[in-house]
Amino acid sequence: MTKKIFRSILIVATTVLITSLLIATSFLYDYFKQSEITQLREELSLAAANVDRLGSEYFDGFESDVFRFTLVAKDGSVIYDSQAKPENLENHLEREEIKEAVETGSGSSDRYSTTLTERTFYEATRLKNGDILRISISQATVAALILGMLPAIGAIILIAIIIAMVLSDKMAKSIIKPLNRLDLENPTENDTYEELTPFLAKINKQQQQITKQMKKLRQKSDEFQQITASMNEGLVLLDKKGCILSMNKAAKKLFSANDSTIGSDFLTVDRSVSMNNAIEKALSGKHSEFREERNGSEYQFIISKTESDNETTGVVILCLDVTEAAYAERNRREFTANVSHELKTPLQSIIGSAELLENGLVKPEDTGRFVGNIKSEAQRLVSLINDIIRLSQLDEDKKPDFEPVDLYEVASETVKALSPIADKRNIKINLNGTSCTINGIRRYLYEIIYNLCDNAIRYNKDGGEVNIDIKKEERDAVLTVYDNGIGIPLEHQSRIFERFYRVDKSHSKETGGTGLGLSIVKHAVACHNGTIKLDSTPNKGTTVTVVI
Amino acid sequence: MRSRFDEQLLLLNRKMIEMGANCESIIALVAKALLEGKADVAENAAPIGHEIDLMEREIEGICLKLLLQQQPVARDLRQISAALKMITDMERIGDQAEDIAEIITYLSGRTESDCDDIRQMAQACIKMVTDSIDAYVKHDLSLAKSVSEYDDVVDDCFVRVKQMLITMISENTADGEYALDILMIAKYFERIADHAVNIAQWVEFSVTGVHKQE
Repeated sequence: MTKKIFRSILIVATTVLITSLLIATSFLYDYFKQSEITQLREELSLAAANVDRLGSEYFDGFESDVFRFTLVAKDGSVIYDSQAKPENLENHLEREEIKEAVETGSGSSDRYSTTLTERTFYEATRLKNGDILRISISQATVAALILGMLPAIGAIILIAIIIAMVLSDKMAKSIIKPLNRLDLENPTENDTYEELTPFLAKINKQQQQITKQMKKLRQKSDEFQQITASMNEGLVLLDKKGCILSMNKAAKKLFSANDSTIGSDFLTVDRSVSMNNAIEKALSGKHSEFREERNGSEYQFIISKTESDNETTGVVILCLDVTEAAYAERNRREFTANVSHELKTPLQSIIGSAELLENGLVKPEDTGRFVGNIKSEAQRLVSLINDIIRLSQLDEDKKPDFEPVDLYEVASETVKALSPIADKRNIKINLNGTSCTINGIRRYLYEIIYNLCDNAIRYNKDGGEVNIDIKKEERDAVLTVYDNGIGIPLEHQSRIFERFYRVDKSHSKETGGTGLGLSIVKHAVACHNGTIKLDSTPNKGTTVTVVI
Repeated sequence: MRSRFDEQLLLLNRKMIEMGANCESIIALVAKALLEGKADVAENAAPIGHEIDLMEREIEGICLKLLLQQQPVARDLRQISAALKMITDMERIGDQAEDIAEIITYLSGRTESDCDDIRQMAQACIKMVTDSIDAYVKHDLSLAKSVSEYDDVVDDCFVRVKQMLITMISENTADGEYALDILMIAKYFERIADHAVNIAQWVEFSVTGVHKQE
């Protein structure tokens, strides 16, 4: 801008200078011409006087570069010419200035002389003898005069331009100075050109708008940060080149990353092939999902692209910990498979026996055995279904009300109920301990003791022993059931509380039992906020401790 | 011009990590198959091995283009030349993993899960390859050094496996072909560990500018 102003001022100054010089010169030219003509006349009258006095001899030896004298006779023939031979010249009578001089005594004219090819000023006067004396001067002389002044004029122009340059530089700077000193942070507080006020006002307004929007954006991003920070799921945002834009706390933990990784390529954080493929798939517009194990837990990664104005701006990765869900799903699948299997087995046996009976393939003396078989299988089925019903009752959230229950009393009841079975296998049941009243659900507590004892009897050796201990420890009741039976191998101990899980994989009917007993115990204990501890050595015995 | 150079360097970095990830997955696959006795592993390993070969060509192309068009100096030059050397090692890792997969098919389901040394060797190899690539990704000098030191574990394992096989043959509890197959597998694992050490040394070079010669 300074340059532009400088240039404009300089151009204006130079133009003004040159124009005024030109005008002055043209006036000067007229003045010079006038003075030339006056001089011409004076010279003429002087010469005329001399010629009058001396005749044409006056010109003898006359030499002049500037003026040209011509003496013309009355008839127009040239008597003398100072620059040309008279005999070469035509009759001059028709020349304007001669004509005028013949008539009025003096004449003047200016024209192009064909002989000298220059503009020439002529002055003529009639001599006393009637001849005409003419004096002329060519314009070149005037021009030469002006030409002589050119160096001076040039010097003037040069000096003027230098002065103009210095001045315009200073002026331009002084014009710009207030603009340079504008405080754009506080546009309204400036004291500057009036013409700038609208701009400053506009800038001020826009600045306020920007501040407001920035504040809003910051709030939004803060909100986003806070929401994502408290999420349990990992959330990662990538741009379209695959660089990390943001990561929440859970994601940082999952990918063992820190703040410094933000901005770097996601590959440097996680380079698993399936993740890379999924991100590429998401970038090409397809939603992708996959499961993979990370840090010992199973994660589900959901990846989809983010869009803005129909343009892909990046990718969002959501990481869900599905370890428990996957475990539950596996359990459910196993449960369904087990239930159908367990229900089908007795039914197959019933159908088989019934078919044989129907077709009369059974000898009459065996009929009783077959019918007995059908009955026992049907009973097994019923007990199985009962167990399932009980389990699903326990699964329901609705719990019966708690009431004071004497654990010892419940235990003795159980012993009474189980003694026929125990007697059959010659197993002794000992109940030790004292009366111990706790808050609980009588039916559930009965189930616990019944199932534990039932197992202890069922998986025992003939002539074995089952002990039930009931103790009170501070606020807890401790129930211990231990036997000296076959025990449970170590690798099965963690799974025996699962539904239908049985150490004996053949699901044999030999010992009876449905595989649901311990599962029921586990649920019932959980209902009482209790804990179960299992301690077993194969072939030596099993101890189950329940603390309620 | 420079921004294009930076972009190409980033691309090189990405491709290196991807290739490393492929190496990791092929070793993990092979080790799992060996320990679980899956004979069909060769079919699964072959596509990954092929992918690794393709990536070697691609990275080579990127490196040469960078060298020719950008005339990199100092650190960038080190990174590119280290990458050129590293991909050779990675490609060898991929090939040897494929070879192991092929031998596993000959074992036809027999597993060595009961042999602790082979399992330890496989796990050590996975750890070394993972660590060497991690070192490259993070420019982690100490991790790179630890990879070189970890090589001793694998070497010890190899010696133990060899001795175990000698006892097995002399006691006639294993047939010769089986013993040889196991020995080959152990040797391949040992080679993979050496390649991982090479990678780690090139990582050191790209960071410090000094390549350690043993």
